[in-house]
This record gives sequence, structure tokens and C-alpha cells, in this order.
Amino acid sequence: MLIYAINRIIQIIPVIFILSVLVFGFVHALPGDVIDTLTATDGEEDPEVRAALEEEFGLNKPIYVQYFIWVGNALQGDFGKSLVTRRPVNIELIERIPATVYLALVGIGLSIIIAVPLGTLAAVRRNTLTDYSAQIVSLAGISIPEFWFAILCILLFALQLGWLPSSGYAPLFSEPGKSIWYLILPALAVGFRQAAFTTRLTRSSMLDEISKDYVDTARSLGLSERKVIYKYTLRNAMIPTITISGLQLASLLGGTVVLETIFSWPGIGLAIYSAIQLRDFPVIQAGVLVLGIMVVIINLLVDLLYRVLNPRVGMG
Amino acid sequence: MSDQQLQSRQRVDTISPDDTPFAIRMRRIRTVSRNAFDELLKSRTATIGAIMMIALISVCILTPVLATHPPTKPNYRIRLQPASADHYFGTDKFGRDIYSRVLWGGQRIVLISIAAVVLGLALGIPLGVFAGFFGGRFDSISMRFVDGLIAFPGLLLYLLIITVAREWKLEGFWNDLILVFALGLNTMPEIARLTRGTSMVESKKEYVEAAHVVGENSMYIALREILPNIVSPLIVNATVRLGYIILIIAALSFLGLGTPPPTPDWGSDLNVAREHMESHPMIAVYPGLAICYSVLAFNLFGDGLRDILDPRIQER
Repeated sequence: MLIYAINRIIQIIPVIFILSVLVFGFVHALPGDVIDTLTATDGEEDPEVRAALEEEFGLNKPIYVQYFIWVGNALQGDFGKSLVTRRPVNIELIERIPATVYLALVGIGLSIIIAVPLGTLAAVRRNTLTDYSAQIVSLAGISIPEFWFAILCILLFALQLGWLPSSGYAPLFSEPGKSIWYLILPALAVGFRQAAFTTRLTRSSMLDEISKDYVDTARSLGLSERKVIYKYTLRNAMIPTITISGLQLASLLGGTVVLETIFSWPGIGLAIYSAIQLRDFPVIQAGVLVLGIMVVIINLLVDLLYRVLNPRVGMG
Repeated sequence: MSDQQLQSRQRVDTISPDDTPFAIRMRRIRTVSRNAFDELLKSRTATIGAIMMIALISVCILTPVLATHPPTKPNYRIRLQPASADHYFGTDKFGRDIYSRVLWGGQRIVLISIAAVVLGLALGIPLGVFAGFFGGRFDSISMRFVDGLIAFPGLLLYLLIITVAREWKLEGFWNDLILVFALGLNTMPEIARLTRGTSMVESKKEYVEAAHVVGENSMYIALREILPNIVSPLIVNATVRLGYIILIIAALSFLGLGTPPPTPDWGSDLNVAREHMESHPMIAVYPGLAICYSVLAFNLFGDGLRDILDPRIQER
């Protein structure tokens, strides 16, 4: 296990390297350069000013040197300054991590609470009305774009009924009541789609388990159906479900941009979105890198967790 | 135990122990492809999905005939009208016919998705076949590369690429081309993985050895003998992927990162509709429904196809 873990950790190094090269290359693929953006003169500024700025930003060095300087700074948490607010990018982003993680975790939690019972029920009562309804709802769930679902939720609960706020955020620890109040709609929008995925997954892995020999054995030994299902089958069926939920948490972080924008949820996604609108490239760069690394690390943790839960999987 | 159940038990017994799950799957695929049409009709999901898909694609082809108004021509005298005999879905805030915009937007999004999936297949299949078939160093290097791409959160990749495209002021056709490229690049790794796994198993088979002995060259074997065996799982994957890509494109243009405004586009039309959500909620409904319908069509067909090709069906 330890060897596997070490191997797996070594494997993420090239991934993070590719990520960092892409993110670094991104700014250099833009037309013009940082100095044009800073002075807003499209390359017609005083050559002396340009030289001074190039010196200041290290742009006169060869590109690979610039890359290593950038990586070195990034490792120390220094991503430069926002072109818009002139504040250090890392402070802008660190403030926003809790909101993103908070929404993603609650959304995933909500989806598991809905989906596991529903998926299990659908599998146990296979080919009944319950099963068909669960299947139709979950199929609809994965086909509805989450931003549209979010808009419809706002339309119904915020605008028509006026029960919930349409957007906003309050930190959990200082104002818990208000925070949860604001969280309900975004979490519902995140959770609905995830729940649809997880329901389908739980159903199919339950069906896989139920058809296995040990279930027949347990039944023939006279164990109650309830015990067979909940004590043995469900436990085994949970292994893929937990794994995929973890992987979804990762993809959810990557996809938070859309929902955070709709609900004005002040997470990293919204930061990246506003930065794109304002052409604040250092923030885009750092935001994508931070989200990307979070995704890679969650994938790694989920993979390790899977091995712990399921020792039968080979160590290859 | 009923007769039918007894029969199916016996059929399980006739599967010899040295049959690998893979061989069973392949046998199933061969049976299915012999009477593809009959098999398709047996699965209700696949039938409905196929009908929906055919309808969608026909509408896309017939868009120039079906659309009643030019999609981009504003007419300020008839802003925000409800549905009528002249404007089936009403008009938007510029007085443009929503029905025609939904049709033209559909043609565009479906075309881009198909192009992206085709590109993903064109890049992924050769890579997968050669990695699986020849193995060795080429295999390990290319699979590390593929792992890196899989780990990269998709939406973030698109955000970077599209921001660059926007800064270079690429518009219309070129912008779409970049989008196709980004989406295709992101489709490639999964296809390559799938192809590699299958061709690795196939390359160990007797018939491949026999072909080697006869003196066929490796390239011929890879393309002629192995490729046909991986077509079905690829079709399933590509179909589901089409739905997913439609969701991504819609999300990107919803964020304002798609084609610039006058072009009809489901995502950006939804975003514009948000402004009038309180007074004219229906404007936000039509493009959303169109997205759901298309994604559902591909998901249903993919699901059904997967069920049909499911090797366990033989055992039931």
C-alpha cells in the first residue's frame, strides 16, 4: 500500500507539470504582453519605460528562466498582483477557497443523502414503478444543464414564491443561520445533478452485487432479505459509489465557475469568471492553477481511499 | 423455478470456464451487430433515444426550411412578445423570433459537437490502437500523456483556450474551430484509453498470432483485425459524449465565452433571457428545453446501446 501510495504521488508530478506549463503558456499565448496591458498603449510607449518595466517584471529573460522564476514564486504562494485591484493574487484567492469548498462539500453531501437510498430502492425493486421513476428522474437529472436548473430554481423559489434569496453569501462561522439560508438554492442546484449521477451509479453497482453468488449463499443460509441487502450488498456496492462521488467532487470544483456566477457565490469560480471579464490575467492564471491542483489532489486521495476500501484491487 | 429461468440457468452452464468476460462481451457484440435493427427495437430506451436523435438531426438539417424568420434581424416594434401564430415561441428583447433562433442555434451546436467528437475519435483511436498493440515504451509514454490530459479539469482548459481566442479577436468560424479543437482534445484521452484496453486484449488472441504467422504486417492486423472489434464500445462512448459536449458548449456560451451576440446560441440566449426572467419567464424556457431534449436524446440512445451490448444479457 505504501509503495503504491508513493508511486501514485510520483505520478501526479508530470500532471502538475503539464498543468503549470499550460497555465504559464496561457498568458504568453495572449496577444501583446503584460506591459501593453499595464500601460494600455499597445506597444507604443516610451522605449525607456518599456525597458524599465521589462526589467521589473523579468520579461527580458529567456522564457524558460521566466517559467522557473514563476514556478519558484508560485511555490512560495506568490502569484503576482491583480491588474485590477493591485492586491496580491494569492490573498484574493485564499479568501475565496472556503466558499468554493463549502458549496461543493454540501452539494456532494446532499446528493449522497438523496441518491444512495433512491438508487438502492431502485435496484432492490428492479423493474417496478419505483425503479422506473427513479431511472427517469435521474436520466432527466443528467440531461438538464445545471445552469438552467439553477435559473429555474431562482425563478420559482426566489422570484415567484419569494421564499429564498436569489443570490448572496454569508460565511458559515460568523453568521450560520444566514449562511445556510443563502446556501439552500446553490446547494440544491449542485446537488440535483450530482444526485442524478450517484443514483444511477448506486443502482447499477447494487444490481451487480445482488447478482453475485455470495448473495445466493446468504439467502440460502436463511438470512433475512433486509440483512442481506443492507449488511452485505450495500456495503460492497458503496465502494464504487464513494469513489465516483469523490471524483465528482473534483470535477465539481472544476465546474463551479458556472453556478458560482449565477448565484454570485464568492468562490474561486466567480473570481475566475470576473477576471475573464476584466482581463485580469494573473488572477485567471492563478485561479486555474489552484483549482486544477485541488482537482488533481482530490483525485489522488480518492484513488488511495479506493485501495483502502477495496483491498481486492491489484496494486498495479 | 419457471421453465424460462431453468433455461437461462442452463445457458449459463454452457459457457465454458475458459471464456473470459471479454470473450463473452465480444460474442454479444457480434450477435448484436448481425441483427442490429431487431436488437435496437428490443430496448425501449434505445428505440426512444434513436427516434429522438433522428428527429433532432433531421430538424438540424431542415433548419433553413423550418425557420420562419431570419434569426439575427432585430425588430424593435415587436419586442418581448408572447407566443403567437407568427412567432411560435414569441420574440426576445430585440424583437427576434425565438423559434427561429432555437432552430439555428441547434444546428450550430449539434454540428460543433459532432465535429468535436469526430476529432476526438480521429486522435484517440490511432493512439489507443498503437499503444495497446505495440505496447512497450510508446505505450507507457503516451498513456502518461493521456493521464495528464484526463486529470486536467475540462472546463478550465476551455476557459483558458477560449480566453486566448477572444484576446486574438478570433470570431465566427475561427472561434468555432478553436472550440472544436479544445473539445476534441478533451475527448481524445477517454477514447484512447478505451481503445488501448480493448486492443491490448485482442492483440494477445490466437487469431492475431495466426495473422502474424501468415506474415501479415502489424499495421494491417491492427487496422483490419482489431479495430472492427472495438467499434461498439466506441459508439456508446461517443454518443454519450455528444450529449456532454452540448452541455459544455451551452455552459461556455452562457458565461459569455461562446460566439459573440448576434449569432443564435442556446447558452447565450439563456443568459440574455435572465434579464427578463421576472416578467417573461418563458424566454428562458425554450433554449433550456432544447438543450435538455438534445442531451436526453444522446443519453437515452447511449444508455440503451450499452444495455443491448451488455454481456450479462446472455446469462439472463
